[in-house]
Amino acid sequence: MSEHKQHDTSNIAREVAIKPWSKSKKFGFRVLFIFLLAMCIPFSGNWYKNVFTLDWSRPHYRDLYDIARFQPSFVSLFVGQRNRDITDSPGAEAGAEKSKKKPKTAQKISSERGDQAGRQTGLPQKRNFLLDYLDWGIALLIGVIGALIWTIFDRKSKSYHVLYYWIRVVVRYRAGIGIIGFGFTKLFPTQMPYPSLGLLNSNFGDFTAQKVYWLSVGIVPWYQVFGGVVEILAGVLLFFRKTTTFGAILLVAALGDITFVNYAYDGGVHVYAFYFVVLGFFLAADDFPKLYNLLILERYTVPFRIYPDLSQPALKYTRIGLKALTFIIFFGVMTYTEVINFKYDPYKQPSTAGLKVLRGNYRVTEFKINGQNIPYNPLDSVRWQEATFENWTTLTFRVNRPVLIDPSNGGGSPMRDIQRTFEISGVAGGQRAFHYYADTVDHVLYLQDKNVMALRGKRKEAGKKTPETDNWISQAAWQHIGNEKEMIDKRAWSTRRDREFAEKQPVTKRNRMVLKYDTADGNRVILSGLNEHKDSIYVVLDRYQRQYILPKSSLNAGKY
Amino acid sequence: MSNINSTKGPDWTSTEKAFFRFLFIYFILQAIPVSTDFFKTVSGFNWLKISYGDIFNLSRLSAKFIPGPDNFLNWAIILVIALLGSVLWPRSTYKNVDYDKLYYWLRVVVRYRLAIGIIGYGFIKFFPLQAPFPSISNLNTSYGDFTDWKIFSMSLGITPGYEAFLGGIEILAGLLLFFRQTATIGAIIILIFTGNVFISNLAYQGGEYVYASYLISFALFVLWFDAQRIYKLISLEQPTEPNRFKPLFTVQTQKIRLILKSVIIFFFVFLYGFKTYSGLHHDPYQFPKAGGLAGAAGIYDVTEFKINGQVRPYNPADPIRWKDVVFERWATISIRSNRPVRIDSANYEQLFAQDKDRNYELAGSGGRHYYSYVIDTVHKTLLLENKNVHYKTERLTLSYSRPDTSTIVLSGLNEKRDTIHVVLNRIDKKYPLKMSRRKALKL
Repeated sequence: MSEHKQHDTSNIAREVAIKPWSKSKKFGFRVLFIFLLAMCIPFSGNWYKNVFTLDWSRPHYRDLYDIARFQPSFVSLFVGQRNRDITDSPGAEAGAEKSKKKPKTAQKISSERGDQAGRQTGLPQKRNFLLDYLDWGIALLIGVIGALIWTIFDRKSKSYHVLYYWIRVVVRYRAGIGIIGFGFTKLFPTQMPYPSLGLLNSNFGDFTAQKVYWLSVGIVPWYQVFGGVVEILAGVLLFFRKTTTFGAILLVAALGDITFVNYAYDGGVHVYAFYFVVLGFFLAADDFPKLYNLLILERYTVPFRIYPDLSQPALKYTRIGLKALTFIIFFGVMTYTEVINFKYDPYKQPSTAGLKVLRGNYRVTEFKINGQNIPYNPLDSVRWQEATFENWTTLTFRVNRPVLIDPSNGGGSPMRDIQRTFEISGVAGGQRAFHYYADTVDHVLYLQDKNVMALRGKRKEAGKKTPETDNWISQAAWQHIGNEKEMIDKRAWSTRRDREFAEKQPVTKRNRMVLKYDTADGNRVILSGLNEHKDSIYVVLDRYQRQYILPKSSLNAGKY
Repeated sequence: MSNINSTKGPDWTSTEKAFFRFLFIYFILQAIPVSTDFFKTVSGFNWLKISYGDIFNLSRLSAKFIPGPDNFLNWAIILVIALLGSVLWPRSTYKNVDYDKLYYWLRVVVRYRLAIGIIGYGFIKFFPLQAPFPSISNLNTSYGDFTDWKIFSMSLGITPGYEAFLGGIEILAGLLLFFRQTATIGAIIILIFTGNVFISNLAYQGGEYVYASYLISFALFVLWFDAQRIYKLISLEQPTEPNRFKPLFTVQTQKIRLILKSVIIFFFVFLYGFKTYSGLHHDPYQFPKAGGLAGAAGIYDVTEFKINGQVRPYNPADPIRWKDVVFERWATISIRSNRPVRIDSANYEQLFAQDKDRNYELAGSGGRHYYSYVIDTVHKTLLLENKNVHYKTERLTLSYSRPDTSTIVLSGLNEKRDTIHVVLNRIDKKYPLKMSRRKALKL
């Protein structure tokens, strides 16, 4: 019986290989081929700029992450949209407070999306299910047009077995590299940070849905590691023919879940996550008919696939070389940069250590404004209720007065601590977070509101001109403060960091305070100076120990 | 029934047979809920008015020799029995059984047990009961005052659509297991899904990791039947022989089979599905059912607090003074203060019919003390009883008056028999979770 079957098998395979494809099958393949290429090849100038200016001697994890992370963005090609982080939420753009003037076409697109008003005031964009996938539609259009042209010029080909093999290779590597880039920020858990003191003290009901989700993963770093392992495993399986289907199924399952999570919790990464679902589905789909035949129909099944002959030395070594390069970059260098990032510069958390003496939870024992004492009352709209000094350069306090919520997920890739807003984004309940530069000689904190949305609601102040030169911190004070760029561990310095700090920062309107701090051992801290409304305040803070029920993280990012 | 197969599978080696004998006894014992809980659950059934809680509790039973929550020691006991059994078996009269046939029937038992287990959890998520939207008290508790398991549950509770999606996947996997040809696909879905549940349980310190491993072990067994075939076809890309064994039924046995299958599917899919659906609308199980003080639901600021005639002003460090008070829609009051809370923790799923057993709202939560209460409308009195198992004996007797719709004045005796007088004012609290997600929120 088995011999008979063997004979059958080779026959079947040969027949399938020779059999010409139908016209519609050929056309369908051409569309799919071009569509997938358009989906898998980076078309943005920034991507190439990043690759070619990458300094391999002083790399930063984001350099590699940016190679792995792209999706079709044809719209931005035409309208010059700022290259924002696609793994960030829609509101992040507002949070990153770059107010570049956009070309008119961009504004037109914006208003078509119905979010022009939203953009100007920094509101979250309105989401339209189909418009989110506009770039995919364009890719498909390119596929159809390309296929029509192809059909005119190619009248001889009977089938495209070899091209099918190659497009599978492209998709396998695109999806594999992309998901590994995603996975590494979880493997060394920095994507979802463990909640800071200010977040631990906030009420559950004062978070946005997105924040709830992000935090719920952040509290269990080992689970985040597991998520990273699954994503990286899926990626690795995609790099090998024999395991591609298993990798693809894992990819579809994991990223399908993430897509749904992003819709449910407003994560904002739904399109990028679904991108992998589509790629994974394409890869696995090839085996579905075979599995159906074998498992459900319970029939004898003969697999069939044609591989190009790569046994020539030139081809063989090119193939091995490229594969090895992929592994070296996306496992070797990636691991190195991610470990550095996790240890010294976790990208969502400020990385500069805060003043050692000022750390912990504080009760506001006394609060004077313009010399007038205000007793504690949870309903008072001026008095600080409680305060925290985080491990890094942040002071948080709560005031019972509403503020516009920063809708981003605190992500992006900013180098400057003030732009790392995870500790305040998506938090209501009157919570404030101020970044500080500390002049440790004169004992002065130069504080700036991390929530740039806070000033947006105020029309009057918005009319004021921001001075071109910003000298709210004197040269002498800067001498005492030092250079932020060099405040993190030397091992985490990188060319990318140098570059970003060298860029001229656009002056952003933020709430500011200049407060003298006076303390012996940090248990009692007296802050005095001018608050964000130029009122003079005098605040006595007393540290208290708070026992949390939530277990402490056993895997702490950053060095403080 | 006879078993004449056109093509028989490959012959079994003696090692395979020995291994199979062990697995057979092991899985049969695991699948049959040999435990006192079984009789408790079934004898507790009101067959005329069966509730989804009863069916859920039935679906979750497994063999148990050690009372209390699931424990891997039970597995160890079964393992030992199975080892002994598999050694004795060849010496018995049953040594010459048809292994193909026995494998088939063992897989049937495992499939059905797994399907029932996974569907049990599927429906209470599909109709989002398992993780309800957080209560007012839960919304007004600091993030750091929860256990991680509680946060997991509440985080799921804020997105009923996602919870339903997860439940839908479980139900789908369960349904696929009811049929021989699709069982492997169902098992693969369960391995991915429940694998994640298992890891979540470890990470969030949930109490279901034993049960999750139980389901995973069953799914692995179901998948094993086809695993080699799939590997051969997909990875090695070689021609592959399908399963050739099909049980042959006589007209009579076929009838019995169909009836049994229909009954099981009717009971655990249709009846259970309908019951969970109506449960979502009439009696979600996590929160108590009895209504609270009419029109009082909300969070209240403690404007005035007197104890034994002495006024205690606002002070965030005060060890006694109440900070705020929540009236739930049901008969629960929670009080936030600096008085520490010993955590009442329930981290695995049990469905309780009685209000007093429903402790989801306080499970895994600190920062607040939770009281169930009875209203005496004649004397305008609330009788509060601490819900936490560690403070069972605490009672408060408070008379109430409501000068206006947003004010409640309570006075009477607290848990230490001190006289207290408390004025509560409702806070117009807004939650980002309940507001439009498409507009800028100023809160």
